[in-house]
Amino acid sequence: MASVTLNQIGKSYGAVVAVKQFDLEIADGEFLVLLGPSGCGKSTTLRMIAGLESITHGDLLIGGKRVNDTDPKDRGVAMVFQNYALYPHKSVFDNMAMALKLQKTPRAEIAERVNAVADMLGLTPYLERKPAALSGGQRQRVAIGRAIVRTPDVFLFDEPLSNLDAKLRVKMRMELQELHDRLGVTSVYVTHDQVEAMTLADRIVILNGGTVAQIGTPREVYDHPATEFVAGFIGSPAMNFMPAARAGDHWRIEGSDLVLPDAIGLNATDPALTLGVRPEHLEVFAPENAPSGPWVFDARVKLAELLGADALLNLSVMGQPMLARVGGTDFPLAGGRVRVRIDPERLHAFHPETGLAVTSRSPSSGQ
Amino acid sequence: MQKRPRYGLYAIVALSVLISFFPIVWLILTSFKNTAGIYAWPPQYWPDPFTFENYVSIFTNSPELLRYILNSFIVGVGATAVTLLLGGMAAYALSRLGLRFAGVLMVAILAVSMFPPVSLLPSLFQNFLNFGLLNTYTGLVLAHAGLFLPFTVWMLASYFATLPVEIEEAARMDGMGFLRIFLTIVLPLSWPGFVATGLIVFIFSWNEFPLALVLMTQNAMRTAPVGISLYPGEYAFPWETISTATVLAIIPVLVITAIFQKQIVGGLTAGAGK
Repeated sequence: MASVTLNQIGKSYGAVVAVKQFDLEIADGEFLVLLGPSGCGKSTTLRMIAGLESITHGDLLIGGKRVNDTDPKDRGVAMVFQNYALYPHKSVFDNMAMALKLQKTPRAEIAERVNAVADMLGLTPYLERKPAALSGGQRQRVAIGRAIVRTPDVFLFDEPLSNLDAKLRVKMRMELQELHDRLGVTSVYVTHDQVEAMTLADRIVILNGGTVAQIGTPREVYDHPATEFVAGFIGSPAMNFMPAARAGDHWRIEGSDLVLPDAIGLNATDPALTLGVRPEHLEVFAPENAPSGPWVFDARVKLAELLGADALLNLSVMGQPMLARVGGTDFPLAGGRVRVRIDPERLHAFHPETGLAVTSRSPSSGQ
Repeated sequence: MQKRPRYGLYAIVALSVLISFFPIVWLILTSFKNTAGIYAWPPQYWPDPFTFENYVSIFTNSPELLRYILNSFIVGVGATAVTLLLGGMAAYALSRLGLRFAGVLMVAILAVSMFPPVSLLPSLFQNFLNFGLLNTYTGLVLAHAGLFLPFTVWMLASYFATLPVEIEEAARMDGMGFLRIFLTIVLPLSWPGFVATGLIVFIFSWNEFPLALVLMTQNAMRTAPVGISLYPGEYAFPWETISTATVLAIIPVLVITAIFQKQIVGGLTAGAGK
């Protein structure tokens, strides 16, 4: 086991910057998720740690040792690929045993270690089969087993669940979690799926366009997104955004003059802001039951989608589209008139040009 | 939707089959005719009498035929082996090792193959003479390998491009070097590509004429196409010997094709990924 240190690591192809230099200290035993949309540099970062991609800037340390120029096999890392990358012409046993064979491990020890891992992953009945004779979930388990058998210092996962169907993905996600609890090996996990990131990660690194947007625990990135991008990327469905313009002491928001909470209003020095509120933080009332107050708006329901326990309401709030997540019973139907209350304490504020959060409230407020 | 029978398509297929097979069918029929039947006017379509006599007498008329066929076989197998070995490694290096000028090299390789083989003959002959490679299997194998390498590199490079690169990356993570990855991972996975390319190269080599004619001057070293082409004498044109020898010379190619054709199956990488 080992810590992983990225010291001003960056990657560029000639003049094109794929990953802008950044620092990251991954603690021994930590489960770190690299999250972002496709092309954000998350896979490139992982592949630099793996040794499959050269590092153009900075130093990479695994277990305190600089490994920039070390062969992948000598870095003490094992990787699980998105499309499993099993050897199709070799049996499950041989797939899992390959690295040990190449290290000239004694035959008896190989068998012992492979069998132990196969047993742990429920692969024992399939050891003699070729990958083609396995289901997608089993193949992914073999790919994970191949990594475990090597007892690496660091696990690298490159979108390992994205080829599985939705149900299996949830199951494998939980298995991965259990596995990490059990083995406690430092893991770096790349995904574009924020649910995977939220559930698996000790900490999440959110990348956008080759730049690190935020590094933090799932709680932190959800409650205190550092940029508008993070705010929109974390959380499903995505956060609602609306413009606010300064009008003297007040802010003009959705046609009303309102006072922002001190934390936002006093910090903001710009003439305009982008405000964000999560769908789960909007309250929707029938017009006759609506409370009165400054943060209550008229809205029309454009579309109501029942998800089961919840329902999503596509609202038009003073002409501005907004999404609200409400309880799955007794929700207003499409075409209905409603009143929407926004809790100003739940608002996030971002600089309209830089996208940076204007305020960050203390972590204790998030609940 | 009900599919209308596509008569036009069938007609085109039938016509092209007829055109491409007519000479071969005619050749086979001729080999079963006697001399009178061959020269009969109006032409005889079905051999009458139908005789196997040519297949018996060929070995007394042309005792060298088996030697020719053997020569063709040795040169074909040798050229195929050398071409696949060198071409395979070159194609892998060019398609996967991220060489800086891989694209330029691929085009250069293609450009080399644009010279007509005949234009290479004078210099090839002179050099082979100097190196003592005339009338040797090594010589013609090398000449054929040189001739067919560009094709092989392009075929195999495009085949390698269809293999998921992650398998090779996984092998690198497992601790394999490039040569080992090539031999234990890429080679087995691209076996159908190698078989298909190898078959084509073998047939090319089997049929190749100008180089085989010039570089193999001794009768005992001639390949089948060259040997058979030299049957006609000054006054005689022994059609029965030529047709029979040609049919016999086709057989090894047919057998080899039949054996290896089954191995050209796709889906060998099934199970590697999703």
